[in-house]
Amino acid sequence: MSPTAQEHEGRIMTDELRVAVDRRGTAGAVLYTKGYINNVGGEEIANRAYELMDGGVRTLLLNLKETKIVNSIGISILIEIIEKMIDQGGRIGFCSLTPVIHKTFQIMGLANYAAIFTDEETAVKELAL
Amino acid sequence: MTATAERQMELTLPMIPDIEIAAARAAGNLARELGMASESIDEMAHAMIEACINAREHSGSADRRIYVRITGTSLGAGNSRIDIWITDHGKGFNVTEARSRRQQLGTVHKRGWGLQIIEAHMDEVSISTNPDGTTIHMVKLGRSGS
Repeated sequence: MSPTAQEHEGRIMTDELRVAVDRRGTAGAVLYTKGYINNVGGEEIANRAYELMDGGVRTLLLNLKETKIVNSIGISILIEIIEKMIDQGGRIGFCSLTPVIHKTFQIMGLANYAAIFTDEETAVKELAL
Repeated sequence: MTATAERQMELTLPMIPDIEIAAARAAGNLARELGMASESIDEMAHAMIEACINAREHSGSADRRIYVRITGTSLGAGNSRIDIWITDHGKGFNVTEARSRRQQLGTVHKRGWGLQIIEAHMDEVSISTNPDGTTIHMVKLGRSGS
């Protein structure tokens, strides 16, 4: 196959990850993701999460309602975020996962270190955000 | 029950970032034509993504191509079957070593989960690998649904 225009550009067109932040009080926040959590998306989430941690956030909820696809590299970065938050005495929760993403989190052991909630309302209540 | 291969496609994809999405979309479109349920399609897509990433990141292939073949078969009574072959012309890998990570399931190990994810999301997985390349054959069985 001859190289395509996409190959020349070096990356296939995908829905690049977008992250929105909603601070909840002085030590809490909700991160909303939209798009594919791959290595690039995972790093984007990590950058935002670490900024929040540096700003004193110790309870962080990631709402993945608008994320339909993840890969193992992206999840590995989420695990690094969890580890860093635990080191700082905080906690992380996830909510609104698709069934397949939930299953993938369980396979990789992420579910052992972070709480997973069905929806944001439940998560906010349980995490006292 | 009669099984007929109704759909078939072959793709040759460059090993560029996010190319796995193109492969997963192609298989998803074929599965939707057969009426496969969306959750089964999502599982298949995630398995394909991991297989393509493994080829891209670890095969060491000189031609930097991923060869994808997909067949879709209607099995009747609302059942369908998708067969996917993902081939690279890389250096091959040690399947036993890769599968041994399964013993660590439930612990946080940040990398090397691709094969476990593939096997969890698909109904059948077989791998042929040697120093001239690797082919992973994956099967997804599905019932029609929303």
